[in-house]
Amino acid sequence: MSLAELLQITWLSLTVSGLAVILAFLTGLPSAIYLYFREFRGKRFIISLINTGMGLPPVVIGLFIALLFWRNGPLGFLQLIYTPAAMVIAQFIIAFPVVAGLSFVAFEQVEVELLLQARALGASRFQMIKILINESRLGQLAALIAAFGGVISEVGAVMMVGGNLKGYTRVLTTSIVQETRMGNFTAAIYLSLVLLALSFTVNWLLTSIQHRGETKWKRPNWK
Amino acid sequence: MEKTELEVKNLKLTRSSNWTLNVPSFELRKGECLVLFGPNGAGKSTFLRVVALLEEADRGQIYYQGRLVTDGNRTELGRRAVYLLQKPVFFKGTVRDNLLLGLKFRRFESSEQEKRLEAISHLFQLEPYLNRSPFELSGGEKQRVHLARAFIIQPDFLFLDEPFNGLDVDLKDLLLEDFSRIRKSTGTTTILVTHNRDEAAFLADRIMVMIDGEIVQAGPVEEVFSRPATPDISRLLGHETLVEGIAVGEEQGLLKISAHGQTIQAYGSAQPGQRVILTFRPEEVILTKDKPRTSVRNWFYGPVEEIKSFDRMILVSVNCGFNLKALISRASLEELNLQAGEQVWAGIKASALTVAAP
Repeated sequence: MSLAELLQITWLSLTVSGLAVILAFLTGLPSAIYLYFREFRGKRFIISLINTGMGLPPVVIGLFIALLFWRNGPLGFLQLIYTPAAMVIAQFIIAFPVVAGLSFVAFEQVEVELLLQARALGASRFQMIKILINESRLGQLAALIAAFGGVISEVGAVMMVGGNLKGYTRVLTTSIVQETRMGNFTAAIYLSLVLLALSFTVNWLLTSIQHRGETKWKRPNWK
Repeated sequence: MEKTELEVKNLKLTRSSNWTLNVPSFELRKGECLVLFGPNGAGKSTFLRVVALLEEADRGQIYYQGRLVTDGNRTELGRRAVYLLQKPVFFKGTVRDNLLLGLKFRRFESSEQEKRLEAISHLFQLEPYLNRSPFELSGGEKQRVHLARAFIIQPDFLFLDEPFNGLDVDLKDLLLEDFSRIRKSTGTTTILVTHNRDEAAFLADRIMVMIDGEIVQAGPVEEVFSRPATPDISRLLGHETLVEGIAVGEEQGLLKISAHGQTIQAYGSAQPGQRVILTFRPEEVILTKDKPRTSVRNWFYGPVEEIKSFDRMILVSVNCGFNLKALISRASLEELNLQAGEQVWAGIKASALTVAAP
């Protein structure tokens, strides 16, 4: 495997998973906000669905997306099967419940009195949402870390909807499977190290943001 | 203190089958400090949250400066008021961030924010703490930040839910004085919830007693404290002695009541033969070993049953056919050299007695 090929695969892994997580964040966070503030019938059912979604096997999602985008499938006319777009969609479906579910839990950890006090000091609805997000910042970033970790390391769904086409839909995880199958263990190990490094770098960045401004750890002394 | 700033009409909020907040009418005048007084679960905090537009009532109208709030934008109208929760909760950031939050919500110019921050931090002596996290502050400092972030907004109304709870006595005295001074200098119309009698007496221009979701008495502090309308209010206000008797007639403008084989004289009105309850505060009672010749009309004689020591005062229970309680100073106790079981005279002026129907 050439360096150019390795860079292309790494870049595709990062963009597919990154885009899926960004989309999941942009939709999952408002969903969690809605769930947090509004009371409606079936709310518990939806929360249970989201929680179930957090544990869905990626291959099941892969199968579902493949059937949907298959040439004769209901969305076959979009011609998305075996494209990076299909991979983003599959990974978005994996990441969405993780972001929505963990964000909702993070919101519930915020003291209700804090929001009441914000409102009582004159906060509008939008300003209350800003307070809620700011106060649950650690939880939001934990949701992003969990979602990114889940999709960057997933192989089943991207394999099924992307097809592992060389130079087009091949990503780090599918390459590792491919090289292992072919007995190229050295290449597989190098690819794994790149994947681990990539995963670590992104998580390190997110963790740094997560703990920015937290100068004091309000924990009991361990000594 | 003439203009009506806040008005409530026919307010009703049902929480459960046996608890309803019911306020047919309520008025708050400009610059006034009204103290809502009552036991736990009376509905004081709920009422406060409803008038602060943080909770909706089932029915009723609330007017801010003559404007019906349901006709307007609740956020915009709500910004004329500030409500402070009983427990000071703080947002992420420094004391400065927390103080400025209300102004930021209202999109004040940053120069105005800085101007007000400087003034308020000086007033509440918070300058040394501005760049510290509020979580690092002591209880009293936290409470000062909590109060300051309300005053910095210069609201038309200030609604405070037991803001001095849980503070130690010295700190509370200081904070009460500071609060009273600042409130008067800013002229902020205030409703303050408390179940502390001293706080109520110190701060209130007017006091409103609430029991079981209803306003049972309202008026100037002196009036409510000296003439509670019902035995329940008497008990709540610390009138620890209650005597049941029967009105027997009037003499020289004084009502004569027969109770426990004695005739008691008090100011009030009742038909002869009507059952009445007499109450009085323990600090109004004079104790002496020999019955003195004074203008005090009512004297009771009996053995001391119990002597209880409190922080600054001593509570003496005397069995006069009924349980009479007297609050005396330590010096008085030493001077009298009182012991449990000893016979003692207890005197109470007719004007210190409150007469109510049972």
